[in-house]
Amino acid sequence: MWNKREEEQLNAGRPAGAVQPPPSVEPRHEVSVNPGPGAAIGPSISIVGELTGEEDLTIHGKVEGTIQVPKHTVTIGRTAKVTADIRAKAVSVEGEVRGNLQAAEQILIRKTATMLGNLAAPRVGLEDGCRFKGSVDMESSSTPAPRAAGAHETPARPADAAPKPVTITPLKQEPAAAARQ
Amino acid sequence: MSWFSGSRPQPQAPEPKESLKHRSLALPQLLRGLHPEAHPSVLDLGMAVGPNLEFLSAYSCRVRIVDLYRSLLAEPTESREPGAFPALLARLLPLEAGEHFDIILAWDLLNYLRADQTTALMTWLTPACSARTIVFALISTQRQIPNAPLRYRILDEQHMAWEGAAVATRPSPRFTQLQMQRMTPGFSVKSSYILRNGIQECLLQMGQQRGVAKAVAVASPRRVVVR
Repeated sequence: MWNKREEEQLNAGRPAGAVQPPPSVEPRHEVSVNPGPGAAIGPSISIVGELTGEEDLTIHGKVEGTIQVPKHTVTIGRTAKVTADIRAKAVSVEGEVRGNLQAAEQILIRKTATMLGNLAAPRVGLEDGCRFKGSVDMESSSTPAPRAAGAHETPARPADAAPKPVTITPLKQEPAAAARQ
Repeated sequence: MSWFSGSRPQPQAPEPKESLKHRSLALPQLLRGLHPEAHPSVLDLGMAVGPNLEFLSAYSCRVRIVDLYRSLLAEPTESREPGAFPALLARLLPLEAGEHFDIILAWDLLNYLRADQTTALMTWLTPACSARTIVFALISTQRQIPNAPLRYRILDEQHMAWEGAAVATRPSPRFTQLQMQRMTPGFSVKSSYILRNGIQECLLQMGQQRGVAKAVAVASPRRVVVR
């Protein structure tokens, strides 16, 4: 509920007769990760294919295929279901991932995560309570993690349905925003 | 008894969680065989525990984690019967061609498997083992054990702590060394340390002379509750 003073402040500068905006609605899905700068795939979005990009990526929806953002961070949110091999600078998993992860810096499997696959990174963290099945290689991040049979089985796709690569390009900054920086 | 041949355990009220630190006598011996330059391969059959991973990373280990107990619980009862168990293992714990383990951390899993299941497990793992492979098992010497395997954490080269529901709710198999030998074909007890906290630490190795453990010690580990 608004108190009167706050209402007056909010209405200041608003033209008479203007329709008040509806009260804010709670988001349907709680997102525990601050999206920050970079791209985000919302909870209702499903993507099948190859994801490449040059910015940080946060996934809350479903992704099937491969994800490659070698110089940036990939965050798998709690609501996310990802069946993909991921290559990134750093990977943080809170949701469900089936696939092999390879990071140049670190991989963090949070307590809410379900992770089936192999991890390769110089630093790997497993939080208490996470569900993990696979192997961890902290020796080298340059070579892809060998796949344990059965640990990650990507569903077969027909050849004619081969997905096209999806490239994420950063949005251009507005002149005003650029000037402020 | 609610072994894997029986029905799935019924959910119970949350039990108090404890963490108990103890000095391990087998762990230093186990770690002595780890040479970082060789990038040892470790199979952890317990829960994924971050600190263990961190600890083993200092030895440049490649760690494969398969929480076998919980994986088995999720399977139908009939698939855990003697005839079907090897096939179940092949599905839950698939081995790659040429895969090799230097260390197998069984923790207290063997307390929760039937003898035939342990035999099937060790037989399944044999192709991935060599003469230098060591299996680290914790056998209960108590009359009862908790309903599910505990979560063991390596604190340092000499100390471990267990965490989880400490209330004993099921009878312990209390395997003797001879039973252990019989259950683990191809392996023999290399060392065995009976601790006064009710745990017998066993190091099993492939192809050794059967019958006599190299070292049997009774230790009185300092019991320190970790809060």
